[in-house]
Amino acid sequence: MSSTIALEANGLSKSFPGVKALDRVNLRLMSGETHALMGENGAGKSTLIKILTGVHRPDEGALSVAGSIADIHSPAAAMHAGIGVVHQERNVIRGFTVGENIVMSRMPRRGPRVDWPAVRREAKRCLALLDLELDPDTPMARLSSAQTQLVEIARGLYTETSILLLDEPTASISDNEADRLFRVVRRLTEQGTAVLFVSHKLEEVFAHCDTVSVLRDGRSVLESEPLSAHSRDEIVDVMVGRSLAALEVPERAVDRSRPPVLELSDVDTASGHRGVSLELRSGEILGLYGLVGAGRTELARAVLGLDRVTSGSVHVRGARVSIRSVRQALESYRIGYVTENRKEEGVFLAQSVTRNVAITVWSRLERMLGYVSTKSERALVQKYVTELDIRISGQRQLVGQLSGGNQQKVSLAKWLAAKTEILIIDEPTVGIDVRTKRSFYDLIWKLADDGLAILLISSDLAEMITLADRIAVMDRFAITGEVENSHDYDEMSQSIIRLIHGHAAVT
Amino acid sequence: MTSTLKSGSSAHLQAGALRRFVATPSFFLLVIIFVLVIVLGSIKPAFFNGPFVIAPLLTGISIFTVVGLSQMVVLSIGHMNLAVGPMAAFGAMFMGLSYELWDLPLVLGLALGILAGAAMGALSGWLVARTGVNSFIVTLAMSFALIGLVPTVYSWLSAGSAFTVKPDGLDEIGRSSFSAICVNGACGSNAIPLIVIPALGVMLLIGYLYSHTRLGRELLMTGSNVDAAQLSGIPTGRRIVLVHSLSGALAALAGFLLAASTGSFTPGIGQEFMLQSFVGPILGGTLLAGGYVSVTGTLLGITLTLVIRKGLDLFGVGLETLNVLLGVILLIALSSDQIRLFFGRRRTRRPAQVDRTSPPPGPKLAQPSVPEEISA
Ligand SMILES: Nc1ncnc2c1ncn2[C@@H]1O[C@H](COP(=O)(O)OP(=O)(O)OP(=O)(O)O)[C@@H](O)[C@H]1O
Ligand SMILES: [Mg+2]
Repeated sequence: MSSTIALEANGLSKSFPGVKALDRVNLRLMSGETHALMGENGAGKSTLIKILTGVHRPDEGALSVAGSIADIHSPAAAMHAGIGVVHQERNVIRGFTVGENIVMSRMPRRGPRVDWPAVRREAKRCLALLDLELDPDTPMARLSSAQTQLVEIARGLYTETSILLLDEPTASISDNEADRLFRVVRRLTEQGTAVLFVSHKLEEVFAHCDTVSVLRDGRSVLESEPLSAHSRDEIVDVMVGRSLAALEVPERAVDRSRPPVLELSDVDTASGHRGVSLELRSGEILGLYGLVGAGRTELARAVLGLDRVTSGSVHVRGARVSIRSVRQALESYRIGYVTENRKEEGVFLAQSVTRNVAITVWSRLERMLGYVSTKSERALVQKYVTELDIRISGQRQLVGQLSGGNQQKVSLAKWLAAKTEILIIDEPTVGIDVRTKRSFYDLIWKLADDGLAILLISSDLAEMITLADRIAVMDRFAITGEVENSHDYDEMSQSIIRLIHGHAAVT
Repeated sequence: MTSTLKSGSSAHLQAGALRRFVATPSFFLLVIIFVLVIVLGSIKPAFFNGPFVIAPLLTGISIFTVVGLSQMVVLSIGHMNLAVGPMAAFGAMFMGLSYELWDLPLVLGLALGILAGAAMGALSGWLVARTGVNSFIVTLAMSFALIGLVPTVYSWLSAGSAFTVKPDGLDEIGRSSFSAICVNGACGSNAIPLIVIPALGVMLLIGYLYSHTRLGRELLMTGSNVDAAQLSGIPTGRRIVLVHSLSGALAALAGFLLAASTGSFTPGIGQEFMLQSFVGPILGGTLLAGGYVSVTGTLLGITLTLVIRKGLDLFGVGLETLNVLLGVILLIALSSDQIRLFFGRRRTRRPAQVDRTSPPPGPKLAQPSVPEEISA
C-alpha cells in the first residue's frame, strides 16, 4: 500500500495562562506508519493530542486530515474525521461496567433501546484483541490500575479509525501486555491506519516505531524523521536539549547482619495472599516484581492496614504491629506509601502544588494552636520542586493543570518530604521522562544510602533490575522466590521469568 | 481581606494578592452590595436610619453569617447539613431549659446548648462516616427527627411553647448597641448592635482555622479527594465527625443569637436557616463539591441577601414576593459554580497573553483563584 498523508498539522500554537504549551508545532502522520511522539514531561505531547482530538482549540495553526482542511472543534468532530484516541488520563466511568465503558462512544442500539447482547459481544471482541479475559459485566471500579488502562485501550480500538492516537498507553502496564498492544498496532498499520504513539520507554519506541517527532518546551525539535536514522542517545539528547551522561549504577553494600526494619512472616490477607514472608532492612531496596494482578499493591495495602491481615505477623523494627491506617503507619511507624493510582488516590487535582506536597509534613510544621506557616510550607515544597524538577508556573498552580508526568512527581514529592524510614513505592516512574527517571534513581539510591528502607513495586523489569538490591517475585498472591540482583539484565530477566513460570507450572 | 493587608512587606506581593482578591466572588459581591446600598439609600434615605434600619440589618447579618458558616464548614469536606435549622432549635431548647428550669447563668446555659448542638452534629457525622451513606440523606433524616422532637419537648416543659426567662446579660448581647458602651463620656454608635461581636469572633476563628491551621488544610484536602486524603495519612473518618460537630455547635450558637435578639427561646428558631445557610457560602464562592471555602465570601453573600430583603421591605414588598426573590437568588447561587466555570473557560479560550498572571481554572476546575489564602 502506498503511503499517503493521513494527518498534517502546521504551526500549531497553544497557550495556557503562564505557559506556552505549544509553539508553532508541525506534525505529519503517514498512513500505515507508527509514529513516536517524544519529549520530556510538560513538553506538550498531551496538549498536541488534545488539539488533534478537539479537546482544546489551538490558538493558531491548521489541521488537515487525509489531505483536506479539517476543523476539529470537538471530540465528536474528531471521531467523525476518523481519529481515535486513548488519552493519558483515564476517562472511564467507574460506576459503569467494562462493557459499557468500551462501547460508550457509540452504544449499539436496537431501535431506541440499547442492544445489550451487542454491547457484550463488541466489548468481548475489543478485549480479545488484547487477549484480555475480562467479563464485560465486571464493574469498572473493581479493576486494578493496569486493567483500567487496558480497558481504556480496548475502548480506543472499538471504532474503526484511520488515525489512532495513543498517549502513554503503556505507562502503567507490564511488558507482556504492552506486547499484545503492539501486535494490535502492527495489524492496524498493515491495514493502513496511522498510529501516533507517546511513550517515555525508549526500548519500546525503538522496537515498534518507524518515525519520530520530538517536542521540547512546546517546540518541534525533530519533525517526522525516520527512527532508524537515530540512536537512542541522540533521541535522548534532542529531548533534553543537551548531552545526558550515561546512568551509573552505584556499588551498593547492604549490611545484611542488621535486623530487618520490616518483616512479614507467613502473612495471609483478606485480599487473598497466602503465606507471604518478606524481610526489608534499612538502607536496602527490595524489589517486588510480578505480573499485573499478582497482588503486589494489595500486599502494600495490607501492610498499611487498608486491607486486613488474617494470619501471620508483621514486625516493624522488631516489634509486632497491627497497623490500621495510613495515619498510624506514618506517625507511629514512619512508613510511607506512594500509590499507583495518581489521579484517584495520589494527588488532589483541584488543590495547589504547595498543599499537594505539604500534606504529609503539616504534622511536622505544626506550631501552637495548629498553626502552620505558609512560608515554611512553601520553602519546604520548593526544595522538592527543585530536586525533582517539577515544571510549574508557581506553587499556587493547581495540580490538575500540570502535565501527567509532573503530577506523578508531585505525588512522589509528598512522600519524599514525609521523611519516612520505610517507603513503599508503587509504580513510581509511570509516565516520567528519561532524565527525571535518572535523577529519581539517583535520589532513591541516595535515600537508601542514608538508611531508608525501600520496598519497590514496579512492572518495569528494566527499572527493577537497575534499582533493586534484591528482587522478590510474586505470582497469584504468593511469593514464588527471591533473587539477589546482579544488575545483569539478561541473566536477571531469565531467572525472574523462570520464577514466575516455574510457579505457574507447579500449580 | 486579611490576605491583602498582611503581606505589607513588599509592594509586589501586595499587588499580587490584590489581583487575586479582585478575581474572587467576594470582590463582585462587595461591588454589588456597595452599588445596591448607594441606590437604595439615595431613593429611600430612610435606609440609612441607624437604630431602626441599619442596626436590625447588622443583627440579621451577624446571626445569619454564623448560620452560613455552620453550613460552610461541612461544605468544606464536600458534605452538607440539611439540619442546621433543627440543630439550632435543639441547641436553643437546651439553653432555654437551663435558664428557665435550672436557673443556670448565661455562659453555662450557652455552653450546654452548644454542646447539645455539637452532639447532634457528631451523631450525623458518625452515621455518615460509619455507614458511608450520603450526608444529604443522613442530615435530612436528622432534620425530620429533630423537627418532631423539639416542639414536643417545648409543649411538655414550657408554658405557652417558649422559654422566656432571661439570664443576666442576654438582652445586652441581643438587643443593645455600642451606644451602651461609653469610654470617657464618648459612647459608641447606636447603629451597631453588640451582637456583631460574637459573629466577628466566630468569623475570625473559622477564618484562622481554614487559612492557618493544619486541621483546616486537612479538611479542605478531604473535601478535594477523600481517598487521596486517607492515603496521605489524614484520618478522614474523624475529620467528618469533627466537622459535623462543629456545624452543629455553630448552628446552636446561631440559635442562641437569634433567641437573644428576639428575647425568647421558641421551637420556631432556625426555621429560616436552611435556605440562607446555603445561599451565603455559595454566593461567596465556597464550592458545593468541597475543597474551597471563603469566610469573607460567606459574610458578603449573607449581607447581599439581607440588604436586598431590607431594601424591598422598605419599598413595601410583601413577604411572599420576598420569598420568590430569595428563591431566585438561591437558584443563581446554586448555579454560580457553573456560571463561574463557564466564564473561566471562556477566559482560557482566549490567547493567554491577555492575562498571564492570574490563574484562571483549567477545564473541570472551578475556582478562579487558588485557595491558598482565605480571607478571614
Ligand atoms: N489545562 C491546563 N491549564 C494550564 N496549563 C496546562 C493545562 N494543560 C497543560 N498545561 C501545561 O502545558 C504544558 C504541556 O503539558 P502537556 O500535558 O502537554 O505535557 P506532556 O508533554 O504531555 O507531558 P507528560 O510527559 O508529563 O505527560 C505543561 O507545562 C502543563 O503544565
Ligand atoms: Mg502527557
